[in-house]
Amino acid sequence: MGNQKFIFNKLLEIFIIFFVILTLLFFLFRLSPGDPISKIVDPMLSPEDTLHMIEQLGLDEPVHTQYFIYIKNFFSGNLGHSFHYGEPVSNIIMDKLPCTILLFTTSTILAALAGVFLGKISAWKKGSGIDSFLSISALICHTLFIPWFALLLLWGLAYKVGWFPLGGIISPELWIENSSAFMKTLDVIHHMLLPLGTLFFIHLGSYLLLMRSSMLSVLREDYIITARAKGLSERIIRDKHAAKNAALPVITSVGLSLAFSINGGALTEQIFTWPGIGRELIFAVSNNDYPLAQACFLLIAAVVLIANLVVDLLYAYLDPRIRY
Amino acid sequence: MKKKLLNQNKTNLFAISFFQAVSLIGLMVIFAATLSSCQKKETSTLLKIGLPEEPKSLNIWLASDSNSRKILNLIYQPLYRRDPITLKIIPWLAKEDPVFNKEELSYTVKLRQAKWSDGSEFTSEDVLFTKKLFFDFKMPRYYSKWKAIKEIKALDKHTIVFYLKKPSAIFLSRVLTAPMVSKKEWELIASKALETEKPFRSIQDHLVEKPLGTGPFTLFEYKKGAYLHMKKNPHFFGTGKKIVNLQLGPYVDSILFKIYGTSDVAILAIKKGDIDYYWWDIQPGYLEDLKKQGNIKLFLNKKSALYYLGFNLRKPPFNNLKLRQAIATLINKKFILTRILQNYGTPMHSIVPSGNHFWHNPNVEKYGHGQLPEVRIKSAYNILKNAGYTWDTPPVDEEGNIVKASDIRLPSGELMGKFVILTPPADYDPKRAFAGTMIQEWLRSMGMQAFARPMAFNSLIDAVKGKREFDAFILGYGKLNLDPDYLRAFFYSKNDRPRGWNMSGYKNPEYDTIADSQRSLIDVEKRKKLIWEMQEILIEDVPYIPLYNPHIIEAVSKDRFSGWLEKVDGIGNIWSLCMVKPNQ
Repeated sequence: MGNQKFIFNKLLEIFIIFFVILTLLFFLFRLSPGDPISKIVDPMLSPEDTLHMIEQLGLDEPVHTQYFIYIKNFFSGNLGHSFHYGEPVSNIIMDKLPCTILLFTTSTILAALAGVFLGKISAWKKGSGIDSFLSISALICHTLFIPWFALLLLWGLAYKVGWFPLGGIISPELWIENSSAFMKTLDVIHHMLLPLGTLFFIHLGSYLLLMRSSMLSVLREDYIITARAKGLSERIIRDKHAAKNAALPVITSVGLSLAFSINGGALTEQIFTWPGIGRELIFAVSNNDYPLAQACFLLIAAVVLIANLVVDLLYAYLDPRIRY
Repeated sequence: MKKKLLNQNKTNLFAISFFQAVSLIGLMVIFAATLSSCQKKETSTLLKIGLPEEPKSLNIWLASDSNSRKILNLIYQPLYRRDPITLKIIPWLAKEDPVFNKEELSYTVKLRQAKWSDGSEFTSEDVLFTKKLFFDFKMPRYYSKWKAIKEIKALDKHTIVFYLKKPSAIFLSRVLTAPMVSKKEWELIASKALETEKPFRSIQDHLVEKPLGTGPFTLFEYKKGAYLHMKKNPHFFGTGKKIVNLQLGPYVDSILFKIYGTSDVAILAIKKGDIDYYWWDIQPGYLEDLKKQGNIKLFLNKKSALYYLGFNLRKPPFNNLKLRQAIATLINKKFILTRILQNYGTPMHSIVPSGNHFWHNPNVEKYGHGQLPEVRIKSAYNILKNAGYTWDTPPVDEEGNIVKASDIRLPSGELMGKFVILTPPADYDPKRAFAGTMIQEWLRSMGMQAFARPMAFNSLIDAVKGKREFDAFILGYGKLNLDPDYLRAFFYSKNDRPRGWNMSGYKNPEYDTIADSQRSLIDVEKRKKLIWEMQEILIEDVPYIPLYNPHIIEAVSKDRFSGWLEKVDGIGNIWSLCMVKPNQ
């Protein structure tokens, strides 16, 4: 099968899966208990008020009618208005998504690069002091409980030492004083360092361990012995022959992590008060804000499906044995 | 030799990489420390307040979350509001108390010379327009109250007459306390919304960026996800005026609202001096630490709140009055107060909280009050035994000793089946979840198969208020209106319907008659008598068992500001923000 046909089939498959997810999400939210109004426990609201609100939200229509309206709107590019923000869902996502991408994608990429580099060294020096140190450190990082670690960093580095701010994405005091664009950029980077550091260490452990184990199995392959027999330098064997092949599982993992990174990490975002999409997703689900919750999940589904396609294609590029 | 050299090179490479990494981290730390010190410059009259969540909307017709309402309450003002100390209704945008005409059944209200934050005049036209909006859009919360108005007339720019359909006791407290909006801001938006298929939804979806109000502060800038900056409204009618013996400001130039995702971080922020006040109820667990901080001042105030155990009176076993009274006797409110609330609260005996001192009836029956656990069990046992309940093993043996009871039977002889007490989950409200577990244990001591089940809040409300399929539940109202008309809403027979507030399904024609009568009584003292009577009936019939009313605990930094005003529901109120002053 040629690559073009493979891509076409894959895209068709993605479209069908996406449509199934779209439908499932719609009905899952409608079947969940309560409605967007039920969480407003306000004795000032009479039953007539509640019914009026339900009717205005269009939730009094039969579910299948709501579904057809939703599908029609979706294919005309309208994801609906959030029940709580009163804004188009697409605007809310576009407001929050850059913050999530900035933090989570950066941390995933940095952690993956460092994990590949350190995992390679650790496997190459198997049994040495460096290997023990890196493996143990990676295990510690891998098992860290995010809220605990994040709060510890905030307490130590932001509260006690005062080097970093206590969460948020900017310092409002600096922004209301009309500081220069340069200072504002520095301010965002300053706010990003602590959450970025937290996520970096959390992800680093898993990438390092994955790379180490993959590299160890590659080092036992016949072509490594052949390379040595050919008299190639150790560095070339390690970096060109072993590490390149060993990185394949890490790339798969990074691909999927990147896809899921747009979901953000609700806990990390909550603790660092990072205005990302993870917090919105939790809010939308717990408050039955159907349009917002559906759009967030659809976005994740779309990115995961596309990331899978990209990883498949990347495999073919990295491993000449793989052809579609 | 060559191999050794190669290994040495590798080690050097690793050392260089490590050194580079350490240098990079060092540079980042220096950069961070420098930027932190740069940000310490502050303006002294900028009050910084922490919020637990970002306000969801600045559209007054949409905003239902507490944080949005905190902001909007500083902008949109009512004609009358409550005195923070006496809790009486006092003129606010109105100039004086309304003049009641008994024959015409009308209230004449004179307006103050007030201005909107853009400098335009607040007039009778705005009041008429607000009423029109309530009616045109059937505005939830307001329309059902304003329906009592037959007609509204503007005599001049600053005089309005409200003609009522019938006498209404809640006219002042529930109708004239509605926020007034500007005709200039909303007229065009409303007319466009009315042309749409769903007018209310359309007006809710209108994006409000700069709300126009008459309050002490006006929105200057809102950076979503980061902060909200309000400035002193130069046209605020109260500035420099003495209202209820308070010389109103605001004395701060602006307020900066910052968001903190968790209480842990907000507490660190207040300790560090990043914020002057955290506008949220602090859990008692933080208090020991906060008390040690020299720069922190704590405020403990009563809340207008009600946390209670409710029963489903529509079906057995809780359709039996004696069973409900026995359960009320078994519940150890002192234990809940000392162990669950850690003494930061008051046990409740009536439905109206004790902080609402005018309407609260302190003389209602206090089941099991002051009794030891053994005495409670014996009292409850006697109530149930006299009502015809039997046990395979009764909780009190023939010698009068307390023993483990089993298999309680209803007066019909049928075994009392398993029943469930629904509670919110511990991560939503640990107090209610733990109270549910304790009540489960107390009921089991009587041989009842009680099970406390934490449930997602939406599902709980759906079960109790929507489907009405439940046995018992623990819920609460964190901010009850100070007018006790909710006694009618919660227990009125006609409100026993899906989405109605009579969740227990309580039906008592005598109670309904009193509830209707109090609504039309203009004489406050006469109404008070009826409200007290309603509380007595409710505690006698026990559709709800009031459990506790937690204190609201708030913390402020003493370093820069003082003058916070305490009232029921704490210091987070418009009066405080009009009174707080920078330290000299």
